[in-house]
Amino acid sequence: MEFRFSQKEEKLREDVRNFARAETAGRGIISGMEEESRDEDWGFAMSMSKKLAEKGWLTMAWPKEYGGQGASFFEQHVYIDEASYWGIPGTTMGVSGIGWVGPSLMICGSEEQRKKYLPSIAAGEPDGVWCTGYSEPNAGSDVANIQTSALREGDHYIVNGQKIWTSCAHRARWCWLAARTDPNASKKQHSISLIILDMKSPGITIKPIENYAGIHIFNELFFDNVKVPVMNLVGTENRGWYHLMQSLAFERHSFAPQFYGKGRRTLEFMVKYCNEIRYNGKPLAVNAVTRHKLAERAIELETLKMFGYEITWKMSKGLIPVYEAARNKAYCDFAMQRLAITGTEIIGAYSQVDINYKWSKLLANFTRLYMMFPGLALAGGTGEVQKNIVGQFKLGLPRAY
Amino acid sequence: MDFDLNEQQNMLKTMAHDFLINECPKTRVRELEKDAKGYDTSIWSKMVDLGWLGLIFPEQYNGTGADFLDLVVLMEEMGRNILPGPFFSTVALCALPILKFGTETQRRKYLVPIADGKNIWSLALSEKSGKFEASDINTVASIDGNHYVINGEKWFVPFAHVADYLIVACRTGRLESADEGITLLIVRTKSRGVTINVIPSIAGDGLCRVRFKNVKAGRLDVLGKVGKGWKVINYLAQRATVLKCAEVSGACQAVLEMTQAYAKDRKQFDKPIGAFMAIQHKLVDMLTDVEGLQYMVYYSAWLLSTGAKADVYVSMAKAKANDVYQRVCIDGIKIHGAIGFTLDHDIGCYFRRVKAAEFVLGDTDMHLDKVAAGIGL
Repeated sequence: MEFRFSQKEEKLREDVRNFARAETAGRGIISGMEEESRDEDWGFAMSMSKKLAEKGWLTMAWPKEYGGQGASFFEQHVYIDEASYWGIPGTTMGVSGIGWVGPSLMICGSEEQRKKYLPSIAAGEPDGVWCTGYSEPNAGSDVANIQTSALREGDHYIVNGQKIWTSCAHRARWCWLAARTDPNASKKQHSISLIILDMKSPGITIKPIENYAGIHIFNELFFDNVKVPVMNLVGTENRGWYHLMQSLAFERHSFAPQFYGKGRRTLEFMVKYCNEIRYNGKPLAVNAVTRHKLAERAIELETLKMFGYEITWKMSKGLIPVYEAARNKAYCDFAMQRLAITGTEIIGAYSQVDINYKWSKLLANFTRLYMMFPGLALAGGTGEVQKNIVGQFKLGLPRAY
Repeated sequence: MDFDLNEQQNMLKTMAHDFLINECPKTRVRELEKDAKGYDTSIWSKMVDLGWLGLIFPEQYNGTGADFLDLVVLMEEMGRNILPGPFFSTVALCALPILKFGTETQRRKYLVPIADGKNIWSLALSEKSGKFEASDINTVASIDGNHYVINGEKWFVPFAHVADYLIVACRTGRLESADEGITLLIVRTKSRGVTINVIPSIAGDGLCRVRFKNVKAGRLDVLGKVGKGWKVINYLAQRATVLKCAEVSGACQAVLEMTQAYAKDRKQFDKPIGAFMAIQHKLVDMLTDVEGLQYMVYYSAWLLSTGAKADVYVSMAKAKANDVYQRVCIDGIKIHGAIGFTLDHDIGCYFRRVKAAEFVLGDTDMHLDKVAAGIGL
């Protein structure tokens, strides 16, 4: 039992902190996905991605030959935690590339694919921005039910169909696409392949979907006879389902340090606010209800911290944390929801003020979080899907769906 | 960073697990709830032989020189199986502060018989309010020549009825200052003027009311410094709280495991009930609670063992332990259905102990308030 970080890891934390203080002073904490909406936010995020890449942090755990630093999972953990604490934008570049395209290609991609795609992600280039095409109108939680087809004609796949809820499609250079490559397979899971699709290909139509807060993250993607070279197949044809499951585990493992960092900062903003604001001549900080709510939120965040440590520790031992990633995602969503609701309750009527208006409180952090958490709780699989995974893989219970 | 137990801890854990399963089955736990002593003297003497009573004492006090984290691991196993008895009161509440604040004479005199299983101890702290607050200490120790004379009443003193000694928190200073002016006195339970009554309780776990009427204690029987007793209480409370949380964490693991097994075994509508999402997700929530608690306990225990400031994390762990123990038991009973509501089922043994763990060393509200202060409110 030893929960200390090494001196090297602590030094890294300090470096990231200094970088963040210099580069992001006075900004609110926005979620990684919000930056995809407005051009100026996206531009700033990409400029940060470039700087993070120059520091060697953006993809630090990747091997040096693909633009990484060969850093340990613990170093990566410290970087993600600290960068999230300061709300540095651009750490994910639309999520997919850094989150799972890179890690997946290193496991099941070809050497040519790694050489072609990884360096631009690692360098924080616009060419390294990816979106992911999994969900479809009839394939949400039941993602194996996808209908988009990629049928072989000579050296190409011809892609037809539709994706939906595709984050970052309007910013992406590439799409990490799941499509059905064998229409005659007996089992849905045995006919899916992962394909790299050039977003500049003819036949692609992108239709924006605004969320209820007026923010443009999602898109609909339509494919009309889009030609994709066969060499863009990732891994083995019709084995895409298994590659995809692995990519989802990659996606989920970093949720805990991300939200722990962000949540801790958000909570600190709130503590400061409660010490400054006075009601009836007394600081809000002495109100017992407020104290207890915030104490409970702090306990949830520290629990999340431990879950994050655990997963990183297991990865560092060479284990693949499957149920742990799903548990952490579900717990993150729970903690985020509780923090958002508590925050808006404490801020009161002002929590509904538009985030761009001067009377908005606390850099609008809680208003933003409140408006975003229901959507973030769905990204990467709903809470119910996560709990099904934990039930099956950890508790050994029968499939419940 | 490393979540693993070391080799010695793993050995201790396995040994404790096997010993407790064999020596203290739940039938015995139920019998002991009705027993006048409330613990099994033959199990106790075997625990002495295993070196558990003096586990973390240095060798000169007949101990085995293990460290605090080893004791945490042992308590977790005791909680998992439920071991009724005065181990916690003797070791966590009394031996730890004697080890830290006792004079060399006191350590020799008191720790050796504890390690040898000859003396049982308890801490007489809470009073009529049942709370864990310095301002609630009204038992008075006044000086009469070479003696203190104690008058007052203590409530919820664990296993005082079988104890040889009590550490009694007394007010020796001004009443208006809460944590100044409290002195800890070591008192023999056989002393004239000590009256001990067992309080009938849900868990039958030997909680006592202890009355002191002109009880004499020598001036050398002060633990720590005169008037600075609350400092000792704070020291022991942090460690004992983590140990109590470890016990709760073990208990929660056991409740989860028995519920998980039941959900796989019990069939309704031709399926194991664990195949129904409503049940499965409840079990996943229980698992998340149990794992989260275990890691919070380990983290606060580790912090304490490094000598770092740990009070906020200790309070986080206790607030969480109170919350999780209750919820895991309630959901566990609901998943079991009516069978979980019977005296014969083991899950009730755990549920009967929820409130005992919740109110020892500070309730949830008190610890949440400490957490609030810790985060800057």
